[in-house]
Order: sequence, then structure tokens, then C-alpha cells
Amino acid sequence: MRRVATVLTAISMTALALVSAQAATLRVGLQDDPDALDPALSGTYAGRFVFAALCDKLVDISPELKIVPQLAEAWEWAPDGKSITFALRKNVTFHDGTAFDAAAVKFNIERMKTMPDSKRKAELAPIASVEALAADKVRFNLSEPFVPLLANLSDRAGMMVSPKAAGEKVGEFAAAPVCTGPYQFVERKSRDLIRVKKYPGYWNAGQIGYDEVVYHYVPDSTVRLSRVRAGDLDLAERVAPTDLKIVREDANLALHSGQGLAVAHLMFNVGAGAKADTPLGKNATLRQAFELAIDRNVINRVAFNGEFLADNQMIPPSSPFYDRAHKIPARDVAKAKAMIAAAGMTRVPVELQYENTAGDTRVAQIMQSMAGEAGFDVKLLPMESATAIERYMNGNFEAYIGNWSGRADPDPTLIAFFSCAGSQNVNKYCNKDLDVILSEARGEADEAKRKALYVKATDIYLTALSSIPLYHPNWFFAARKSVGGIVMVPDGLLRFTGVKPAN
Amino acid sequence: MSSIETTPVAGRVRAGGSPEIRRLLREPSAVIGATIILFFAVLAVFASWIAPYDPNAPDWMAIRAAPSAAHWFGTDDLGRDVLSRVIFGTQASLGAGMVSVTVAVLIGLPFGLVAGYFGGLADMVISRLADALLACPFLVLAIALAAFLGPSLQNAMIAIGISAVPVFVRVARAETLVVGTEDYIAAARAQGLGDLAILTGQVLPNVLAPTIVQATLTMAIAVLAEASLAFLGLGQMPPAPSWGAMLDVARQFLSEAPWMAFWPGLAIIALVIGFNLMGDGLNDALNPRH
Repeated sequence: MRRVATVLTAISMTALALVSAQAATLRVGLQDDPDALDPALSGTYAGRFVFAALCDKLVDISPELKIVPQLAEAWEWAPDGKSITFALRKNVTFHDGTAFDAAAVKFNIERMKTMPDSKRKAELAPIASVEALAADKVRFNLSEPFVPLLANLSDRAGMMVSPKAAGEKVGEFAAAPVCTGPYQFVERKSRDLIRVKKYPGYWNAGQIGYDEVVYHYVPDSTVRLSRVRAGDLDLAERVAPTDLKIVREDANLALHSGQGLAVAHLMFNVGAGAKADTPLGKNATLRQAFELAIDRNVINRVAFNGEFLADNQMIPPSSPFYDRAHKIPARDVAKAKAMIAAAGMTRVPVELQYENTAGDTRVAQIMQSMAGEAGFDVKLLPMESATAIERYMNGNFEAYIGNWSGRADPDPTLIAFFSCAGSQNVNKYCNKDLDVILSEARGEADEAKRKALYVKATDIYLTALSSIPLYHPNWFFAARKSVGGIVMVPDGLLRFTGVKPAN
Repeated sequence: MSSIETTPVAGRVRAGGSPEIRRLLREPSAVIGATIILFFAVLAVFASWIAPYDPNAPDWMAIRAAPSAAHWFGTDDLGRDVLSRVIFGTQASLGAGMVSVTVAVLIGLPFGLVAGYFGGLADMVISRLADALLACPFLVLAIALAAFLGPSLQNAMIAIGISAVPVFVRVARAETLVVGTEDYIAAARAQGLGDLAILTGQVLPNVLAPTIVQATLTMAIAVLAEASLAFLGLGQMPPAPSWGAMLDVARQFLSEAPWMAFWPGLAIIALVIGFNLMGDGLNDALNPRH
């Protein structure tokens, strides 16, 4: 009998040892399947989410939206703002063992500026040349002062890939990316999973708690959450605001939330083709009346259980350049009616197009109902995503609910939507004065002066209202309590420094 | 000896339509089915009088409220009265059933008659086309057509109607083939009646009964198809209510607000059962083989 007990104990000890020796794996549920895993080509949030494991950047952003060191330990602007010098972190290697140095930075910037289908060209456009001053010192010479550069380098434009791997595998790099991040690429099964494993040579390897991370593609947010509840996943990104109650009530789960950079806004076609020829497209007063007719807080409460942030500006309140003086105007149906009457109308027709997602469908119906009380006859036109985006890009809409992911710096957002030649200015709004202010602001290194310029810009775009900002989504991750050390950053990406099994 | 069997229906109808009705009233399933359909028809026609609230009027202070004295079926994600939306949703469902089946009969019946009566090349072309359409699962075809036509209730009805055409071609063709061999058709020909006169005067009345049975059964499928298309965002446009669209939204709140899914789901089941019972009853009453 005793012998049996000894044997049993031995077996259970071995089993325990095996379990503890087993590699710690973090299983993450992703809403979208990422596109190309090459920082030069990537165009999706899901791709950025995976890059947070694979590729370090020159600089990073902190939860307070400050620029903090990553591969660059320090940087210094030239007094004229036309060059910036980075001191690089030493003893950093790529996943293929090659060294990260100034030459690698030069290679990467030039690669992203010249690769034929690179999506980083605009973000790096003002960089005229890159000089490797020493192995750990590199200077970017700019054609004009460009303050948002650091913010751009905190995203894919600042991700460094191995020159050796990129040179050897031209065109195939995205299938097996090689960077300097905490995890290295193992495998990808399209529309299923992406597996990465801990890179032992990582410069901050001591802070990396999991041996392996597997990203599972689970498009439905309710299913994603169910799988975390069942213990089949450890973390789900982008949990629906209407599901948060479930997360809060589950003793095994922790809700990680944080303010985001994104914005949802109602765009009016003011100048793109025939669809701009509408009362709302031609008359800013009517657009102001529309803003007064809706209640952003009700939209947030009804459509998102009040979990998002109702707001009237394109950049979020977490940004140092947010204009606190421009408060959300209170709903005023009587005033909206008076403004419509002053424009010589009683009923104002408008066709509202949107992607037929659950959230946008609710927002559209709420706005239809509220604006209807003031005199706007809103006709709803839901579209499946691909068609909606195609029509959006072609300016083929009267009004459209836009969802913009936002950036750490106000420049890319405001330039994209409100400069005459902006990449997202599909509704063709154009104001030369605003263009001058926005280009001055991107060259202004002094934060206070820069902020004053953005206050002016905010004043102009909130008067013209070619777009009515509605709310800023917040980020919600649902994770098992066993995952410790998660820190939310406004870009909504899961960083791994300090993330480890909790017990 | 075959005088009874070969008496054209048209002749019998002229002699008095009551035997079918009497036979129908003796079929309990037909009576129950008709009652259910009548109930929903009344709801659809008098929706504005019956519904306690405007189906599209939101109440921001009663979001996803549980059933209560004020809202018997509860409220939905925008605070709209679910009872009122189920009542008004009847219009979309019944409308889709009626319109799409009418479309299907209007297209399918003539083609089936022509294919069965003339045979030969006409039969081959029409039958192969119908077979090609039948090869595609009904709902898949309806989804493809609705997606192609663009989302709206009207387009959903057309898509469902077109998808149901081949069934009516088949039924009409098969019955025409049977009727075509009857003596009275030969007699009509001998009298010098033209093809059109024979088709409309002699063949059509005899093909009508099985077509009506098929139409009733297809109505049930059409109601389901409309709900499915609306569920996929290809039917009734928001905010107008449709049972399928209500289910689509309710799906997000199954555990939190089950009443949002329960009532439209129950309505779909009831109406589909109604049409199926009616179809079975009609079949038993009208089909001389029973």
C-alpha cells in the first residue's frame, strides 16, 4: 500500500513538474485577420496589434500620449527644426541575429520611402535624407520642420526590420517578418492564427513574461468574449460595450479599459460631385442646426451603454492639443428649428449612409429620430462594409458615419480630413486659411504656440462642420485574471513589457 | 367510365363551387391554418389601430426594458415597443409572402403551361432553365439576388419571388402534361379551338388547384426567407420593423434582453405554421387523388 502511495506521489510530482515546465502561452482573440505583416505595407489595426509583439519602434507613446524611448534612447531637434538626431539603444539585435544600428535605421527609412507599394510614404515624406553618424547615432534631415514626425515614428513608420531579411526576401518578407521586438515570428495560418515565440536575445527580455503568444482570429465580439470566459482564450480585444456587464460580473475576468484616439463622426458631402448638391451640403447653418438637433450623450448612452466618450472634436480629450474651450453644444431643438426656418425651409431631406455594423446602425437610427424632431428627414442607407467604404472613398454619399482610428498627434487627423488635399477629405471641404494654420502647426516645435494654432483650426472646422464629431470609442480588453501587468495605451495595442502570468 | 375523372374543373366550378369549400371546412388543419393567417392579416391591415405605440418611436429612458404593463413585450435596444414592432412587422412578413409568391406564380405558371403543353424545344429550354435555378439552394439564390438588387424590402420580395419561380414551373408543367392527355383536350382541339383558348380555358383551371396548394406552402418559405434576408441586412430597411431584422438586433442581447428575440421569433413560427397547415388542408381538399 505504501509503495503504491509513493508511486502515486512520484507520478503527481512529475506531472506537476511537467506542467510548471510547460511554456507559458498567451492566447489572444483578434477581431480581424491582419493584412501583410510588413510595417511598410500594413494598413490595419489588427496588423499593428500583432506588430506590438514582433517589431519595436524607434520611439513609443506612453499612456499619457507622451513620446517615450524604445529603440532610440534619446533624440534632439536642431534649432531650426529641420533635422533630428537619435541616439540608438546599444546591444539590440534582430531576430536573425544581425545587429541593429544606424545603418539599419537608414536602410529602413529609405525602404519605406522608396518601396513601390509602401503605405508609409506620406508619414515620412518630409525626411530628405538619413545620415548614419556613428553605429549608435543617426540623423534625419528634413525638407521642412515637421513636428509630428516623432508621433509617426511611434507607429509602423518607426518599426525597424532586419535589412538582411528584407534584402534576401524581397516580396516575401511579410510571410515571415524579422524585427527586433520581444517575440519572433513562428507561423501564420491565414484567417486562423498567428504564432510568435519569445526572442531570447531581446534587449528587455527580463520583462517579457510569456514564452509564446498565439493570436486567434475570432471576428464576432460575443464569441471572442465567450471563449475567454470558457478559458479557451486568455484575452479578447475590442469587447462590445454592451457586453461589459458580463465581464465585470465574471469573477475570473478582468476588464482593461482605456481612452482611445479614434473618433466617429458624421461627414457631410460639401463638395464632391452631385451628392454635394443638398441643403446640408451647401449650407453650414443647416449643419450647425443638425448638430443642435442631436444629443451626443444620448447616442453614447443608448448605443454604447454610456461606455464611450461623447465629444464634439476630432482629437480626443487625452491629447494635449484638445481645445477645452470648445464644449459640446447642448441639444436645442427649438434653436435648430429656427435655423432651418431662417434658411427658408421647414423639412430638410438628407440621405445618411453607414456601414451596417451593430453600433453604426444604432447611432444612425438615434440620429434619425432626434434630427427628425427638428425637421431633418433622414433617410437611412446601410451598406455592407466593402461597398460603404468604396462609396465613401469616391465621395458618393450625402452624409456618412465615418470611423477614424486616430493618431497620437493631431496633425495626421486634421490634415487628412480638413486640408484641401487631405487623403480622407473625400467630402471635399476646402478652406485655404485652415490649410495655412495646419501647415504652420506641423512646423511649430513650441507646444504652447502649436496648441494656439490648433485652437484656431478647431474653431474653423467646428464652424464649417463639414464633419460633426460624435464620440470617441474607448478600448476594452477582457482578460483572464491570470494575465497580469496589462497597461492600456491610447493606441489600443497590447504591449508585452511587464505582462506575465499572475500567480 | 372515365367521365367523372375527365370532367374539367372549370365545368365543375360552374356547376357550383361549394364542394371544395365544404371539404376545406372539414379539414381541421386548414381551418386552424386559415385562422392563424387571418389573425396576422388583421394585425397587418389594422396595425396602426391595434399597436399601442408608434413602432419607430424610441424612448431613450426605457432602453431594453423588460416586459411590463406599459410595454407588454418589453422594449428593444432603442427603447421602441416590441409589441408594436411585432404587429407592424406583420406587414413586411405577410407582404413579402404575398408579393413574392404572386411574382413567382405570374412568371412560373405561364412558363410551366407552355413547357407542358407544347413540349419539344420550348419544354427543353424552359425546363433546363428551371433545373438550373433549382440546382441553386432556394435561400442562397435569394440572398445572391437580393445582394445584387440592393437591400430593400421591395428587392427582397422580388428576389424571393424569382427564386421560387422554378417550383411553379415544375408544378404547372407536370399538371399540364397530365391534363394534356385527357379526352376533353382532344375534344376541344377537335372543335377547332386554338392553343391559347385551350390553355386558358381548359388547361389552366385544372392546373390552378395544385398551384394554389403550392403557393400556400411557398408562402411559408417566403416568410422565412424574408426574415432570413432581413436578418442578414438585405430586407426591410431600418428603422421600419421586420421580424427578421428584429431577431438580428436581438441576437446581440440574447442573455440580457431575451424578449427582444422571443416575440418576433414566435411570430415567425406561428405564421409559418399557419401557412403550412393551410397548404396541407388545401392539398387534402382540392387534390382529387386524396
